[in-house]
Order: sequence, then C-alpha cells, then structure tokens
Amino acid sequence: MPEIIVDGISKTLGGLLTLGKINIQANNQEFIGILGPSGCGKSTLFNIISGLLKPDAGRVLIDGKDFTGITGRVSYMHQKDLLLPSCSILDNTSIPLVLKGIPKQRARAMAAEHFEQFGLTGFKNYYPAQLSGGMRQRAALLRTYLFSSDIMLLDEPFASLDAITRRNMHIWLLDVLRELHPTILFITHDVEEALFLCGRVYVLSECPSEVRLEVEVPICRSESSRTITDPRYSQLRDEIMTALTI
Amino acid sequence: MKKSRNIADIGVPIFFIFLLLVLWELIVSWGKIPEWILPGPLQIMKTFGETLPRMLEHARSTMLECLLGFAAAIILAFIIAVVMDELPLVKKALYPLLITSQTVPIVSVAPLFIIWFGYGILPKILVVILVCFFPVVISLLGGLAAVDRDYLELFRSMGASRMAIFRMVKLPLSLPAFFSGLKISASYSVMGAVIGEWLGAKEGIGYYLTLSQRSYMVDRVFAAILAITILSLLIFAVIIAVERLVIPWHRLNEQHQ
Repeated sequence: MPEIIVDGISKTLGGLLTLGKINIQANNQEFIGILGPSGCGKSTLFNIISGLLKPDAGRVLIDGKDFTGITGRVSYMHQKDLLLPSCSILDNTSIPLVLKGIPKQRARAMAAEHFEQFGLTGFKNYYPAQLSGGMRQRAALLRTYLFSSDIMLLDEPFASLDAITRRNMHIWLLDVLRELHPTILFITHDVEEALFLCGRVYVLSECPSEVRLEVEVPICRSESSRTITDPRYSQLRDEIMTALTI
Repeated sequence: MKKSRNIADIGVPIFFIFLLLVLWELIVSWGKIPEWILPGPLQIMKTFGETLPRMLEHARSTMLECLLGFAAAIILAFIIAVVMDELPLVKKALYPLLITSQTVPIVSVAPLFIIWFGYGILPKILVVILVCFFPVVISLLGGLAAVDRDYLELFRSMGASRMAIFRMVKLPLSLPAFFSGLKISASYSVMGAVIGEWLGAKEGIGYYLTLSQRSYMVDRVFAAILAITILSLLIFAVIIAVERLVIPWHRLNEQHQ
C-alpha cells in the first residue's frame, strides 16, 4: 500500500526559509495535486521527497518507513523530458531498469511491452529529437513509471506543451491511470489542470511556503468528458484562487 | 529545393575561389611580376605536379609526426579534462595555468625542444601536442560543464552511480563539444608539425619549405603550402567522418532546433 506522509518538512535554501512547516499526505492510489505560485519551493519539496535533498526538519515516511534523504524509492519526472539525445527512445525508457541491474536486452524487452500503452508504438528506434513534444513527455513518463511504478512525483510534466497537446495528454493520462493505479503527487500552477486531474489538491502559499488550503475535488469526470461541467467547479476554483491570492 | 541549395552551398565558394585565382594569374602576367617574387597559380600547379613525388616523401614523415602528436594530445586532453571535471580542486589549480600557457608563443618554445631532444621526431611531436592539446581540453571541459544539472539530478534520483552518470550522461552529452575541439585541433596539427620541422629537421614538408625558401624557389614554397593545406583538410575530413559515425544523433538535434 504505497502511502506517503510528508511530516513537518522545513528547509532553508541560501539563507531564505523556503519551506515552512509542510504536512502532506498521499494515500494509496491517490492523485494529489500541489498548487502554488512559482518560486514557492514546490520543486524543493519534490527534491526532498525523492531524497535528493535533506530537509532541515521533518521526515518523509513511505509506507511507515523513514525515507528522509534516501533516493531510489520514488520516481521523479521533471518539466523537461530529460531524454538523452544520444539514445533511442527504447534505450531511454529502459534506463531505470538497466540502472537497477537488469541486463540490457531484458530491460529493452520489458520497456517495449509498455510502448503501446504509452502511445509510442513504432517509435522504438527513433531518437528523442525526432519525436513531438507530447510523445517525448509520454516517453519520459514511461521511464518514470518503469523506475517506480507505485509512487510517482510529477513536476509540471505538461507545462512545456501547447494547450491542445496538454489536454490530450490529460485525457490520455487519466486513461492510463485506470490500468496502472499508482500514487501520484502532481505539481502544477494551473488551477484548471489540477481540478481536471487530481482527487485532492494542496495549495501552497508564497515563500516561506505552507499549506494554505487542502480541498477534495469531488468532480467526477465521465470517461468521455473533455471539460469540467460540474457546477461546483467554479466555486471550487474561486476558493483555490482566493487561497493563491489571485 | 534542398538539393539546389546544396549545389549553391558548394558552387558559390568554388566559383569565388576560381575568380580569385583568375585575378591572381592576371595580375601576375599583366604586371610582369618576376617568378621569384610571386608566381601565378598556373606555375604553382605545374611545380606542384612536378615536385609531388618528392613532397609525398616529405609528407610521410610530417604526417607521422602530426598523427602521433594529435593522438597523444587527444588522449592527454581527454584524461586531463575528465579529471578536472570530476575533481573541482584540480580544476581550480590547473585552469589558470592552462589559459596562461596559451599566451606563450609556440615558436619561442619549439627551439628549446630542439636543444633538449635533438633533431629527431620527438620535438616535432611535442610541438604538435602543444598546439592540439588546448582546444580539445577547453572544449571538452566546456561540454562536460554544460551538461544540464537536471539530467544529473534525475539520474541521481534513480540511484545511478557516479561512473554510470559519467558513462551514460556526461560523456555522450559532451561529445559534440569534444568533436568541435577536435576539428579545431585537426586543422592546427599539420601546422604544428611544420613549425617543428622548420626549426631543425632532416625531412618533412616544413624542412622542404625552408629549403625552397632559402633558394628563392617561391613556386615551390607555394606548392608546399598547397600540400600543407591539403593534408590539413584531409585530417579535418577524417574527424568529420568519425564524428558522424560516433554521434549520429547530433546532426538530428541540430536539424530540429
């Protein structure tokens, strides 16, 4: 049961208190959104959860075990696709498996099994430069998934895409999640995106950031829906906007 | 569309060079400039053809010095750049020295090599190493330092070892910069060997060049210059071919940007 508890994390970066006391919890298979103004330390928070940074105070608990400052448990996807231009898509996506010590041929075969699901069929031997932005992000997401399939940290994964591609990616992602069931923490500064995708949203304040609001998103998206039509949507959005002081 | 542009890309410079040569020939023949001051391109081509067998013999030893020196410079530069990149202290200590060393004129150091190591092949190789080493080190260092830190963090978050990060991320991503350094060095390498031979040698294009110069055979001097140019371009072409083989993805990246 992958469950993350961020327990009272605080961090000072370069003399500036970036993260005040942050408490966040993600239960099994939840899709959690983290909204906040830019520069509020969302990425710092992810660096701490993934173990790249050590917090000044507080703990990161995953399944009840202390993972503070330990890398390798959760997978982390960046806004940039960070695919290696020197490797084919298949090699890029199989990197986490190779790093875990799986022989290259088997790692390739294991990655290839997911190519259809991630909309990459037929592009195994292409270089990242030959793919569209959306495909590159899907490849990066597959790489993230292959590293740790149960807990994924997504840091504005679709921010660099155009609006049309981004919406397609949202719909595709929700589709895929019906089969994969990971626990996801999703950073964004797009309120609409958070409400469309997430089941629960944390709103962070500006530096030093603290959780200002935590809301359940009750909106049920029907499978065919491409927009949110629920009347509660605008009320919820206003509430979040107020918390963000927009 | 693309094909016609390619033809223009090659055709325009060739036509321009041809135009310059015609102009040169005309000035020489109309101005009645004596051959021992400035021979025309036709005369140079004739001399080039006549002296080709002799020059080829000299070119053999020049190329040997040049390739040995170039290879040694690449290996040395690669090791030093990687060590400097991995150990910041070494980089701090060596970087200013590297830059300052480039302000010392090669021509002033080369005679020392002859005093120390005689008239053999070694001082020439050393000059080539000195000339070729710097561009490779600096560009590889730049390439290694320019690798996006986010790549390193991503790989660290996936638990990659330092060695794995170097092999999978740093090395491949800095290869394009490495190759641009190689291309600069390649065009310098023959020149380095020639300078080495100039100062004292028994064979080589540089030796042939001094010999022709001292006997006022200016057409031979020009023929030797032509030979040096051709050799440099040859090495340059080899580097480009190797680059295409080793980093085929790099050209794709450039096209898509």
